[in-house]
Amino acid sequence: MDRTHRVRRRVAATACALALVLPLAACEALTPGSATAVPGPTAVPSSTAVPDGDVTLRLQFADAPLMVDALIAAFEKGHPGIDVEPQYKSFSDYVQNLRLTMTSDTAPDIAQYAVGMTDLAADGHVLDLAPWREAYGWDEAVPPVSLDQLTGGRTSEATGGRALFGVPAGLSMTGIYYNKELARRAGIEAPPKTLAEFEEQLAAAEDAGLTPLGVGALDSGGLHLWAALLNQLMPTDAYWDWVNGKKGATMENPAAIEASELIVEWGRKGYYNESANGTAQVDSTAQFAKGDSVFLINGNWAAGQLATAMGDRVGFFPMPGEKADSPTVASGFSVSYAVSSLSRHPEAAGVFLDFLTSPEAGQIISDNGFLPPNPDAVKKPTGVLADIADGHRRAVADDGITTFPDFAAPAMLDRLRSGVQKLIADRVTPADYLDSLQDEWEDHHGE
Amino acid sequence: MNTVARSERWSGYALLTVMAIVVVIPFLSVFLASLQPAGTPVVGLTWPERWSWDNYETAWSVAGFSDLIRHSLVIAVGVVPACLVLAALAGYALGTMRLPGGNATAAFFVAGLTIPVELIVVPLYFDLRTVGLTNSYLGVILVEIALFMPFSVFWMRTHFRSTPMSLVEAARIDGASSGTILVRILLPLARPSLMTLGLLVFMWSWNQFLLVLVLIQDTTKHTAPAGLGFFVGQNSTDIPTLAAGTIIVMLPILILFVVFQRSFLAGLLQGATKG
Amino acid sequence: MASRPPVVEGAPRSRERRVRGRSRWRGYVYVLPALAVYLVFAVLPALHTAYLSLFEWDGVTLGDWVGLDNYAEIFQDPILRRSVVNALVLVVFFSFVPIVLGLLSTGLLARHRRPGMGAYRFLFMLPQVVPLVAVGVTWRWLYGDDGVVNQALRAVGLDGAARAWLGDFDAALVAVGLVGTWVLSGLCMMLFLSGVQKVDPSLYEAARIDGAGPVREFTAVTLPHLRGELAVAMTVTTVAALASFDIVYVTTNGGPGEQTTVPGLLVYRLAFSEGKVGLAAALAVVLGCLILAIVYLINRLSRSES
Repeated sequence: MDRTHRVRRRVAATACALALVLPLAACEALTPGSATAVPGPTAVPSSTAVPDGDVTLRLQFADAPLMVDALIAAFEKGHPGIDVEPQYKSFSDYVQNLRLTMTSDTAPDIAQYAVGMTDLAADGHVLDLAPWREAYGWDEAVPPVSLDQLTGGRTSEATGGRALFGVPAGLSMTGIYYNKELARRAGIEAPPKTLAEFEEQLAAAEDAGLTPLGVGALDSGGLHLWAALLNQLMPTDAYWDWVNGKKGATMENPAAIEASELIVEWGRKGYYNESANGTAQVDSTAQFAKGDSVFLINGNWAAGQLATAMGDRVGFFPMPGEKADSPTVASGFSVSYAVSSLSRHPEAAGVFLDFLTSPEAGQIISDNGFLPPNPDAVKKPTGVLADIADGHRRAVADDGITTFPDFAAPAMLDRLRSGVQKLIADRVTPADYLDSLQDEWEDHHGE
Repeated sequence: MNTVARSERWSGYALLTVMAIVVVIPFLSVFLASLQPAGTPVVGLTWPERWSWDNYETAWSVAGFSDLIRHSLVIAVGVVPACLVLAALAGYALGTMRLPGGNATAAFFVAGLTIPVELIVVPLYFDLRTVGLTNSYLGVILVEIALFMPFSVFWMRTHFRSTPMSLVEAARIDGASSGTILVRILLPLARPSLMTLGLLVFMWSWNQFLLVLVLIQDTTKHTAPAGLGFFVGQNSTDIPTLAAGTIIVMLPILILFVVFQRSFLAGLLQGATKG
Repeated sequence: MASRPPVVEGAPRSRERRVRGRSRWRGYVYVLPALAVYLVFAVLPALHTAYLSLFEWDGVTLGDWVGLDNYAEIFQDPILRRSVVNALVLVVFFSFVPIVLGLLSTGLLARHRRPGMGAYRFLFMLPQVVPLVAVGVTWRWLYGDDGVVNQALRAVGLDGAARAWLGDFDAALVAVGLVGTWVLSGLCMMLFLSGVQKVDPSLYEAARIDGAGPVREFTAVTLPHLRGELAVAMTVTTVAALASFDIVYVTTNGGPGEQTTVPGLLVYRLAFSEGKVGLAAALAVVLGCLILAIVYLINRLSRSES
């Protein structure tokens, strides 16, 4: 026994020594990573010529698999020379590994735009599509605000105008769903015009013995609520600067404090579903559909499900502003696609992206519950889908579609999720919460 | 005296039964939920009004659990035989031969029992990616073999040390080579030990999660636990289908446990204590 | 392996020794395959982790040598520190509680052979064999709004106590810990019971003749004989607590807030989604060292007492 003991200790000592010596002996060659200089963004050629011969494009994505399948089928019918091979990943998995995927030799030709794509664009891993804005006429086919989310905050070296790192298929937006029957029971007759009126309605629902607001804060529901309030209180430009990592931007400002305080206050008043922090977004949606709460914070992606379950009994409005004539501002993004700089067929990818802006694609997108980039080209939706389309139109007209706050840094999603959970449970002061966000921001944007 | 003994006996059974109920309720709860109509809200322990196996069909074909199970089997089929062969060879040498530094080598293996997956998974991802072994079952198989090697070698060494040396000596005098001794004499005797080890390794391989989560990025290649981990994130509302998926993932290991209970218990209880 | 027996030149006896020496080394042919796989896919990666922990590296571009800065950050960053503390709290539920439960039930059950023990043994070991992910998914539902836990509370009129346990700031870590208790209690109990069976029955008889009650009997006879099993139970359960990932990943994913964030979860997040590979490696090393230290301590204590 004693002998093995001593031996064991010797082995441990050797291992420790090895662990210590190895790095000391390490020369440059052992430093992890590759020093290959990154040239910065590369632009696509301005030609839109359709390539000859058979081409296969690999498309990696994380949202709306049914919509993507339908889009690909329609595209391939019109372009027999180009095959698109879809590779679906779950959203968390996709976001988690986007950086690794896009920098590897086996990067897909086309990839859904997501958190972290801005950095990849800056490092030249995805192509700047700006020359095609004019060549394909995307500036006309797509509302400018949808393209502005895809510039990475950069100027294109090829055109001198705004850069473009992706093309949107379906657009998304968050807001408040309401159960019309329960609302009536609480004496609520119409969607609120102002934030103050919305608060009154929440109080009225509470007084009527109903759960006012469903939040699925276990995953992203909490941050959507926080962002929705922030959108009304913080100047949109300042918010954009922060998300885009502009030098000197900060989230530690009075408006953000106010938004965070509202979250805490609503929690204290018991406006949320009792177990908001333990409820996933899908669950909060299912509970809302069952009639568990009067209002629900969620995005348009839940509309199809709610329309099926509730029919005419559900409505939607974007979070109202401080005054009745405040611009409509809502967080939203798009299911957009970027092109890898390693793609051997960027022209073919361009043809596919252009197809996404066509009326035919728009109809497919609309049928799948998303907002087509160009709403005029599709049949008018009905019911709650019409509410969403209407809200989106107003937000677009007011230049008020902002991106999600987790786009500010790769680790921001975790900070936001756990931070808003703490706000809801009244476990953190708004100032400390914002401080933690700003720390993460500075950590990433290097200040 | 008699009454004391009786009351003690009954209190013992009462305790055992209470504990057994605590153990069984979660399993029962999931099983009953899996029989409810898909998509309905289920509350706790609810007896289904009508027994329906539809959820299993849905989970098996639509939710892709058949693929997940197949992938897990592919990995286990790669890991188990390799582990047995490597461990039998190493355990034989370390257990029956007086190798110079043999104890140190054995201790070196044993030290590996404390390596958590977390400690190796980060560089493994980057290193295996460079050689094209991510998104590949071979990569997972090799790492799992390495992870299970400490216990396997230790287990087989313990076994071979307990076999009577006279058998080996006699064969050696007859001129048998060390390989012949292993294959002809020792391995047939080692069948129960190998069996137990095989079951344990299969179980660990089947249950491995973090490693697969990192090394297999392609969700179409996921194993059963990894697939279940993703499935719960996307379908947490549909309790009946989720419950059916959970049962499907547990089932292979449960069947093995029922059939080979004795070997399993031997491994789980003695494996650890023999050290 | 490259190591060779020492060759002593000249001396006449040395030839025989050399031959014998060589044949003794030949046995390593059998060890080599296992050793090679183990070295390449477990030991080297572990060392590589230690090496990476000295860099600031995003996983792609060239890393920066930062020495021990990552380790300093683990002790300064509140979230990272919190994760280590949470893991230690989990040790209470994964290790301490199951061992105490196991010992108590062993004390009650040790004196008699009981028919039907086989069925109980089968049941108690069940949580031990199924995938922890499946266990986590199961408990995620049991702890939910409509789960068994709340159903039971409401049935006994404690409606006020019902809640979404995993989303509650005060309850979440305890709830996750109790899943560990559920998984590991059976193992501890079975370990101790099988250990007790090795105790010479005459010792119990002697104790009984001396008039020892169940408590005295337990402390004087049972406990001392379980030292080995105790060490094993402590080792296995402590490692399970510190290296927990599966259960937390599927039940709470670290929330609410950072209430249930554990090191394993952060290693995964930092390395693969936040691009902080060096920090993740440092945390993994701290975790590995913590496990090694505790295992060493347990074995040291159990040996020195015997």
